[in-house]
Amino acid sequence: MSLDAANRILVPERSTLLREIFENEAHFTRWVEHPSSTILHHDQKCCEEAKLWFLSYARSMEIGSGTQYELKAPTWLSQLFKWGPSEWPIFWCQVVREKVIDCGVFAALAREVFKAQGHEPHPAQALLSYNETCTGHWQQYWDKRKEKKKRNDRDFFPWIGKQLVYHEICVLEMPDGTGKFYDSTWGHWYLPQSRIGFGALLAIRSECSRLLKWGDRTISCGEWIDL
Amino acid sequence: MKRRIYISGMHSGQSPCPGVGIARSIRKAFPELELVGVDHWQGSSGLHDASLDDVLLLPQWHQIDDERHADFLRSLLDDGNFWISSLDMEVRWLAEQFGTHPHLLAPGETALKRTEKPVVQALTETDLGFRVPDFISASLPDSEIHRFFRHSSWQCWLKSPFHDAKRVSSWGAFEKSRHAMAKSWKTSELFLQRNVFGNEESIAFSAYQGELLGAVHLEKRLMTPEGKTWAGRVTPVSPDLFSSFSEVIRSLDWSGGGEIEFVRDPDGNRWVIECNPRYPAWIFGGAIAGVNLPARLISKVLGLPLLETVSPFPFFTRVVQEIPAKEAVGLPLPPDPSSMVWLGDGKKGKGGPGVSLSLPTLRDSVGEQGEEDEALKPGAIEKLHPTFENEISTIANTFQGETPARIHLEKWNSLRFSTLAKNVERARSRQPEVRIGYSVKTSPTVDHLRRAKEHGFLAECISQKEVRRAMEFGFKPHEIILNGPGKFWPLTEAPVTGLHMLFCDSVEEFDRVVEIPGIAGALGFRMRLPKLHSRFGNSLESFEKFEGIVERVRKLGGAAELGFHFHMPSWAIGVDCWMEALQSLIVWCDTFERLTGVRVRHLDLGGGFFPTDLENLDLEAIQESVRNALPHVRAVYLEPGRSLTQDGEVMVSRVLDVRKDRSGKVSEIVVDACIAELPLVAAFTHRIFYRGNLLRQGKARVLGRICMEDDILSNGLALPEAVEVGDLMLFGDAGGYERTMSYEFGRG
Repeated sequence: MSLDAANRILVPERSTLLREIFENEAHFTRWVEHPSSTILHHDQKCCEEAKLWFLSYARSMEIGSGTQYELKAPTWLSQLFKWGPSEWPIFWCQVVREKVIDCGVFAALAREVFKAQGHEPHPAQALLSYNETCTGHWQQYWDKRKEKKKRNDRDFFPWIGKQLVYHEICVLEMPDGTGKFYDSTWGHWYLPQSRIGFGALLAIRSECSRLLKWGDRTISCGEWIDL
Repeated sequence: MKRRIYISGMHSGQSPCPGVGIARSIRKAFPELELVGVDHWQGSSGLHDASLDDVLLLPQWHQIDDERHADFLRSLLDDGNFWISSLDMEVRWLAEQFGTHPHLLAPGETALKRTEKPVVQALTETDLGFRVPDFISASLPDSEIHRFFRHSSWQCWLKSPFHDAKRVSSWGAFEKSRHAMAKSWKTSELFLQRNVFGNEESIAFSAYQGELLGAVHLEKRLMTPEGKTWAGRVTPVSPDLFSSFSEVIRSLDWSGGGEIEFVRDPDGNRWVIECNPRYPAWIFGGAIAGVNLPARLISKVLGLPLLETVSPFPFFTRVVQEIPAKEAVGLPLPPDPSSMVWLGDGKKGKGGPGVSLSLPTLRDSVGEQGEEDEALKPGAIEKLHPTFENEISTIANTFQGETPARIHLEKWNSLRFSTLAKNVERARSRQPEVRIGYSVKTSPTVDHLRRAKEHGFLAECISQKEVRRAMEFGFKPHEIILNGPGKFWPLTEAPVTGLHMLFCDSVEEFDRVVEIPGIAGALGFRMRLPKLHSRFGNSLESFEKFEGIVERVRKLGGAAELGFHFHMPSWAIGVDCWMEALQSLIVWCDTFERLTGVRVRHLDLGGGFFPTDLENLDLEAIQESVRNALPHVRAVYLEPGRSLTQDGEVMVSRVLDVRKDRSGKVSEIVVDACIAELPLVAAFTHRIFYRGNLLRQGKARVLGRICMEDDILSNGLALPEAVEVGDLMLFGDAGGYERTMSYEFGRG
C-alpha cells in the first residue's frame, strides 16, 4: 500500500490495517512477549564504579539545562552514545566503555537518570511503523555487527520487522496519575495521537504497576495498547 | 506497472533542496506522471507538497548500507523508473558507489571530477569566459594562508570541496571555521578563496547523455541572509553561449540537472563560484518563465511531447505559505526543551530580504538622544555606594600629577575586605567552616596582601614565586593553598612544603606530588566538570579518566587529607550556573567517598566572582548543601581576587583631544590612558567618571592614546559639552587583573 493510500484510510479501517501489519510480522509474538531490557550488575566494584560515574556524569549534564524545572530529560545521552547494536546481556561495567548502544540500553540509562532526579520511571515498549527500505538497512547494520563480532542471532534481539520495529522507551509515572512516554534514544516525548505512516507509534506497553492516563487513554501494566 | 520518477532532496526550509521545484516543474508539464519524493529526514517539509504522488523516506545516511542501497536503486531503475538526484552528497555517492544507468539522471564521476571546486576545469579551460578567483589550500602552512589573507584584503571564503562556504575576514574566524568545517565534512581538503565583489547570477541547465537540452540565466533580485535566492529574472541563455556550453556538456557526458553559480563584477567579468551537479532550488522559476528544464529532461527520456509558453514577464518570487501535512509522512515530534538550551538567539527565521527596511519607525523608540546634553539628563544610572562615591569625588577634585595614574581607593578597599571578613565570621556559627584564600595572582600589591593577612585569609598561589611573595608578607606555609598547572615553577627552586592544601591538575602531577614528604596537609584534585569547558583540571568526561582519579584517591590513604577543587568563574558562566556546578561537584565528591572510603575534608570552590556577586553569595545555602551531602567536610574555601580588588582602583587620565560633530556636540575624545593600562576594557563594563560624576551611555567614543585600532576605551558615552583638553577622566574598575595584566607600551 502506498503512503498516499494510507492518508485516505478511514478510522474503522485502521484497526483492520493494523491487524494486517501485525500479522505480517514474523517476530510479532516475540515482541509482544519480550520483557524490557535491564542492565545487569556484577555486584562488584567494577559495576559499582561504572554506575556511580554515570550518575555523577548525569548530574553534571544538567548544569545549565533548566535545573529549575522538575523534568530534565537526558537528551545528552545521544551525545554520549551513538545508536546501534548492543550485545545482550550487558553489564554496567561494559556500558560505560561502549560508544554504540541500542534502544534497550538507552532506555535503561534514561530510567536511572530520571530515578536519580526523584521521578518514577518505568520500562515501556513501543511498536513503530516504517517502510521496508528502512528496516532493510537496519537489518543489514545489525547483521554486519553479528558477523563482525562472530555472534549468532541469540545475542541480538530481533527487533526489526518488515514494516514494524520493536522499540524500548520509558514511561514516567507523574504524581497526577498521568504517564509521559519518553523516547530515550532520540530525545523526544511521544504524544497520544494516533497516526498511520512513517515513524508512527502503533502500539505501546507500560510496565508501571499503576494505571496511567495518557491523553484520553488508560494504560494498564503489561498490556499492549493499540493506538 | 506505471513508471515512477523518484526525486531526492525534499527539504524545503531556509536552505532548500531543489526537490519540490523539480516536482512542481514536471507536474506542470506532465500532470499524469507519477512522482515520488525521496528524503532521509521526516522533517523535510517538501515531502508534504501536493505535487508528489508518493513519498519514500530512507534512513539517515549513516544508517544506509551502501551495497543494499545500490541494489535497491538498480532494481528500481531496471524496472523502468527514473531517479533525479538533487542532493550534492548523494550525487557523489552515486558516482562512486553506483556508476551510470540510462535511467539515473545525475552526472557521472568524470563530469564531477572536471567540475570540482575551486578550478571548475571544464568551464575555465574553454572560451566560455569564466574566471576563477584566487584560492589557496587551507592545509598549507598558516604563514602562507595568512599572507593570502593579507593579499586578499581579508575578504575570503572558506569552502569545503563538497558544499558549504563561510565568509571569513579575520584570522580568529578562519581558525574557528576551518576546525568546524573540517569536522562537519570529515575532510581536511578545504580551500580559501578570495571574495569577488559583484552581483550573483547563475545558469541552470538540463542534459541527457551529453546532450544539452536547455539552459537559463538567472539574475538574482532578492536573497536571504544565508545567500539563498528569493526572487529573480530567468531568461534563456544567448544562442552563442548555448552553443559553446553544448560542447562542454558533450565532453562531460552530463546527465541530469546542473547549475553554474557565478559573480558578475562591475566590469562585467564572470567569476565562477561553483558548478552544482543538480538543479538549483529555484528551478520552478524557470518553468514560470517558460523554460521548464526538468520537464525537458523528462520529455527527452520518456519521449513525451512538451509544450512551453514563454512568459512576457519572466520573473518569479517566493512566498511562505502553510499547506496541510500528510499523515503518512508525519512530522518529527517536538524535541525536549533541554536540547535547545544552548541553541538559538531568538533570531532564527526572522531574517529575510531587507526586513529591517520595511519596519515602521515608532516615535517612542527613537527619541533622538543627544537633542539636549545627554550627560545631564536624569534617569537610569547606577546608584553608587557613598564611600566609593566620596573617594572618587575626592580624587576628581584634588588629583594633581602625571597621568595616566592608577589610584588605590583606600577606604573602599578596606570596606570590601572587611565586609567579606564579616560575612565569613557570621558563617562561622555553622558547619562546615568557610575560609577565604586570597588570590595572590589577581593583585599582589602590598596593600591587598596586607589586608588579606590582617583579616585572617589564606593565600592562594599558583607558583613557587607567588608562595614566596606571600611568605614575605607573613603568610606561613600552612596558610597557603597551591593551585594551577604551573605550581612548581620555577623548577630551579625547591618547592615549599608544609602547605595548607595542594590541588593537582592531573593524575600524573598527583603521582609526583604524593612522593614529596610533607608537601601539604591536604591533597586533592582540581576537577573539570563535564559540560563546563575548561583547559584546567582533571576531566571527568570519560569513565577511564574517572577510574584514574579513584585509584589515586585510594592510594592517598592517610598521607594527607582529601580535598577537591573546582574553579569556574561565576562572572563568566553565570551565578545560577555556578550554583548548579557546585551541586554537581558535591555529587562527584560523594561518589569518590563511596567508592574509596576516603572522606572528603576540604572543598575549594575557587574564585572568579564579580564584586557584588561575592557579597551576595548565599554562604548559608552552600554550607547546608555541603553539610547534608558531605558531612565530613570541615571547610569550604572561596578564592576571591577580582571581587575584592577590581573596583578598588581607578585609572586617572587626562583628555588629550576633543572632537565635535557638525552640530557642535562632542563625538570623540582622546585620553592619555589606553589598553595597555586597561587591557580588559572590552571584556566588561567599566564605570567612567567626569568631575566625579558617573557618566551614562551615549554616543561619543573614548579613544586611547596609542596607535592601535582596538584602543577604544568606550564605544558610547554621554560626554558633557563642557569637556576640554586637560580635563580629568576617571576609569573605574581598574584594579585586579587590569593592574596585573597591564603592560608598558608607547612610553619611549
